[in-house]
Amino acid sequence: MLKVNNLHASIDNKEILKGFTLEINAGEIHAIMGPNGTGKSTLGNIIAGKEGYTITQGTVEFEGVNIFDLEPEDRARLGVFLAFQYPVEIPGVSNANFLKAAVNEIRKSKGEDPMPPNDFLKLMREKMALVEMNKDFISRSVNQGFSGGEKKRNEIFQMAMLNPKLAILDETDSGLDIDALRIVANGVNKLRTKDNAFLVITHYQRLLDYIIPDFVHVMYDGRIVKTGDKDLALELEEKGYDWVKELEIV
Amino acid sequence: MIKELENILPTITDEKQKASLQKAITIGVPSMKQEEWKYTYYNKILQQGFTTTNLEGFKKLQGLKIEKEFIDANSISTNRIVFVNGIFHNELSTLINHPKINFWDSNNVTESNTKDFLIELNNALTTDGVFLEIGDNVVVDELIEIFYINQNCNQIINLKNNIKIGKNTQVKFAEYYINYDHSPAYNNIVTSIDVAESANVEFYKVQDGGNVLNITDNTFVQQAAKSICNVTTFSLTGGITRNVLQFDVNGERAESHMNGLYLLQNEEHVDNRTLVNHNVANCESFELYKGILGGKSTGVFNGKIVVAQAAQKTNAFQSNRNILLSNDANIYTKPQLEIFADDVKCSHGATTSQIEDSELFYLQARGIGKEVARGLLVFAFGEEIVEKIKNEALKDKLEKRIAELLKIEI
Repeated sequence: MLKVNNLHASIDNKEILKGFTLEINAGEIHAIMGPNGTGKSTLGNIIAGKEGYTITQGTVEFEGVNIFDLEPEDRARLGVFLAFQYPVEIPGVSNANFLKAAVNEIRKSKGEDPMPPNDFLKLMREKMALVEMNKDFISRSVNQGFSGGEKKRNEIFQMAMLNPKLAILDETDSGLDIDALRIVANGVNKLRTKDNAFLVITHYQRLLDYIIPDFVHVMYDGRIVKTGDKDLALELEEKGYDWVKELEIV
Repeated sequence: MIKELENILPTITDEKQKASLQKAITIGVPSMKQEEWKYTYYNKILQQGFTTTNLEGFKKLQGLKIEKEFIDANSISTNRIVFVNGIFHNELSTLINHPKINFWDSNNVTESNTKDFLIELNNALTTDGVFLEIGDNVVVDELIEIFYINQNCNQIINLKNNIKIGKNTQVKFAEYYINYDHSPAYNNIVTSIDVAESANVEFYKVQDGGNVLNITDNTFVQQAAKSICNVTTFSLTGGITRNVLQFDVNGERAESHMNGLYLLQNEEHVDNRTLVNHNVANCESFELYKGILGGKSTGVFNGKIVVAQAAQKTNAFQSNRNILLSNDANIYTKPQLEIFADDVKCSHGATTSQIEDSELFYLQARGIGKEVARGLLVFAFGEEIVEKIKNEALKDKLEKRIAELLKIEI
């Protein structure tokens, strides 16, 4: 589904990704762990299409398509979803209007008619229940005045509404209390199918108690330095990241 | 222009009008050399070929047919006052029948003593207008709509509205411009609203007459004690639009609201000038004008708050916020405060920014195309003004129209 090959990327002439390679297949959950500043969020942003990065080498293919040729909205329409580390507040745009626009723009790109309003409302209610959102959420402005936990739940809610093929969760667990963490993880687990995939970016092992990954990658200095199964996450929790920094990459 | 006015002068019989016309001739047309016209080139309106005539000449223009269905389709209320080319149109209008609501069918000429060309011109050549008096203790539930329809008219249309609202009375107005056949048109309108004690008046100005409709509007509000008045101006399409809005707050514990939204995407030029005179103590005024400027449009905002020495404990807040969508759009903004009292709370400020890339990316990352994303963000920016409308039907109408202009679905 996703093939990242030898990706080098920089921002303001500072190289952040230095030969990142990763392949994700349908049905898989991958976790990327690593200390701050190793390029984890950069990876998510580049896949989603955020401006400001210079790709100096390498490719990213999503279902065989070179995504560097695509605008962010076109990537989303193909089924790429980024749950933001810092969701943006948009005063004046209600959650309902925002998601209606998103759902219908994606449908339009596939040559489908807009979703009938009743079906849309039904879908919203169903997915709101999944992340335990209050009813007033529909009419509130996107993320405005939301607590940290609510913003992260909103990301999962949007993911549920758009039903992407590949969801990248960028530190969705940071700043969450244990209840919110459970809600977020529960949302992911219920949405998991054999046809979609998840890339979970996290600092901490605790999220992986709830979302069981098939692969755990350790990222350091712009590339993956070690790959293992869920036990690797436990090992990291125990030993910290310092030993990673001493690995010699050849 | 001045030559034409000199030619008309002998045909004006009313002495007050004659005096006004003489004054207009003496003052001369506005020039960009004048501070208050620094950014607006008035002659650009006149260059479109408008002429002036006296009332008799005007009446000869009438008799053009507009179907009632046309007004029905454009109206959201049963209270309608319709003017076609500056003359009240009886068949298209439906007036409330109530003993306390009086429409005077009389000439509205008063002695005018300003130094303003447009106001004197208006007084001299007034054709008609809303002459309305509503008595005390009346709640007019339904919106009163005023339509200014222009139909193939190359004359400057001078309408003059004189509205008096009684004590404790509550009423809402909306005025609209329609350019029926899209030929160049120019309305020079003067409105006076007298708000008595504890009355509550909402006045919505909707300026959306297409790109060859020009407007110069002077609106004066006088407020008595404990009254509340809100004037909100929406400028959506137009050629050159100049709005002068002045509040004189003459009674204590009055509350004044001035709001505006200008959404300009082509070559519109909108100049908003506001003035609040806080003449007495313990009053509050709130002003928020928001602008969205794209294409080659120009916006001008000049807001002034004057707090007299007697006006202690005044709270006056003013803000002008703009988003520029294109490199060829311009905004000139100048907030001003003049405070002569010492115990007051006043603030003013102006900002000009662009659409936030982070917001745009967030929407795009959800599959929303860049243009629609931009439209949604602009809509949201304007919604802060639209949502202040206290009439649901009008709010819906404007939201739909703004969405249409931004090519988004809401």
